[in-house]
Amino acid sequence: MVRGRRASFAAGPYVLLLPAAVALAAVSIYPLAYGVVASVRHYRYGLDVAYAGITNYVQVLQDDTFITALETTAKYVALCVVIETLLGLGLAMLVNRQLRGASLWRIGIILPMTVAPVVVGVMWRLIYASDIGIADPVMGLFGIHDVHVLGSDTTAFLGVVLLDVWEWTPLMFLILLAGLQTLPQEPLEAAVIDGASAIRVFFDHVLPMLRPVLFVAIVLRTIDAIGTFDQIYVLTRGGPGVSTQLFSIYAYNTAFLFTQYGQAMAMVVILLAIVLVLAAIAIRLVRLGPGTR
Amino acid sequence: MRAGLRGVPVYAGLVAAEVFALFPFWWMITTSLKHQVEIFSGLELLPTAPTLDNFFALFETYNFGPFLFNSVTVVVFSVLLSLLLGTPAAYALTKLPTEGWLQKQALIVVLLVRMLPAILLVIPFYIVLANFQLLNTRIGLILLYTGLNTGFVIWLMQSFLAEIPRDIEEAALVDGDTRLTALWRIVLPLAAPGLAATSIFSVINIYNDFLIALTMTSTPEAQTIPVGVSTLIGKIQIQWGPMAAAGVVGALPIVVFALLVQRHFVRGLTLGAVK
Repeated sequence: MVRGRRASFAAGPYVLLLPAAVALAAVSIYPLAYGVVASVRHYRYGLDVAYAGITNYVQVLQDDTFITALETTAKYVALCVVIETLLGLGLAMLVNRQLRGASLWRIGIILPMTVAPVVVGVMWRLIYASDIGIADPVMGLFGIHDVHVLGSDTTAFLGVVLLDVWEWTPLMFLILLAGLQTLPQEPLEAAVIDGASAIRVFFDHVLPMLRPVLFVAIVLRTIDAIGTFDQIYVLTRGGPGVSTQLFSIYAYNTAFLFTQYGQAMAMVVILLAIVLVLAAIAIRLVRLGPGTR
Repeated sequence: MRAGLRGVPVYAGLVAAEVFALFPFWWMITTSLKHQVEIFSGLELLPTAPTLDNFFALFETYNFGPFLFNSVTVVVFSVLLSLLLGTPAAYALTKLPTEGWLQKQALIVVLLVRMLPAILLVIPFYIVLANFQLLNTRIGLILLYTGLNTGFVIWLMQSFLAEIPRDIEEAALVDGDTRLTALWRIVLPLAAPGLAATSIFSVINIYNDFLIALTMTSTPEAQTIPVGVSTLIGKIQIQWGPMAAAGVVGALPIVVFALLVQRHFVRGLTLGAVK
């Protein structure tokens, strides 16, 4: 009896960890390894026919559309993350005070991020649509006519950025608000007593103390933004032309429209390298962040 | 008086933010309640003759019955299975004297999995499921979601479990409980709010997923609500009314769930890095 309990005690943690570890490996290490193997295979009509060496990688890197998709993704991510960080920080500063009905304001602001990205795509299609949408008439009120948001390259790109800002500014807002609320109040009060202006207090005291949380938020959002797919698929499918064709849309098309699994996996491996570098930075920051053990 | 005046720009900013955040919801909901003719007739902010026809059409002509059934089945089984796998693992990571090294590495791996964009995984998933004849099945989806969500459960649950004082549990062990009965009898009841929050986040994550369901399924036999929503688009003529109604059906349950856990939102989104 006593021996039995001791034995289960020692093996306990591993027994409890094992099933979860197997499940996790099955959906991460296994498919990634499989994918790396697939990236050096040649597929015809979706069937693995031959060893391809590095030809998939060479083809992908010589493919202008792929390079354009990477550039579009980089522009998209940079623009979205910068705007969302600034707006989110501004909103968090607005809400971080004694407000009447504080929780109601908060709920209203975070609602967009709770909805499925597909539904967000639907919402904005209903707004941008050239026949039934409300974007065109509203712009008409300001004297801007005949802009069909999803009809031309620049406006379509800005249109999907606006959608992303709408959907994910709440995430930045929430994380930064949580960060602001944990800041110690004494240094801020001391600075105010010393006669520092609100702007000085913000740049000299609030921002430096907020930096770890700010980094966590930015890195998380950046990595998520790189994988953006659903909203674009519903809204533009990457068009018009290739103006909103992010990496994920192009990789999806390559794999499931053109059944070029080998080339698609080569693209994915290249992106994986980029994401791993970013994730490594993120993990370091998350672990250094506040509130962790 | 001074405080009142200073508050004006604050409230103006907040009102602007709320209008921007909420208007798309308003537009979708009102569109879903309009007749086809009214949708095209102009820009009424309120439907003049509200109708539920678009919602009936979803279930009568656009297969939303099966989509909803698939979504519910897949969500229920994947959430239960991933909680069953992830909670004991989270417990092992926080409460048992495992070596610190293993603990750290395990959490890093879990975090990495959470950070992989779905597009990186779907192509191999597709090929593997095809090999096992599991494409276009609910079981295939359940297996993938269970695995992916287990990592999320581990991270979030270990953040909740770590807050339970060790002493309570030690006392139970002294009283003759084993680790497992202590987990069941003492720790889990104390962690119930965290478990509830984790379950709800899991429901949201899985119900909202689009890319995996889109690639792994092809007919209403296994397609879920988000995929169903996307099937209304891309036809030659877009059925705006039903599409808006589909958006409402896709959004409504999740908004309700989200409001239930909004207190834990930051923790859920940053996996415990920020509380």
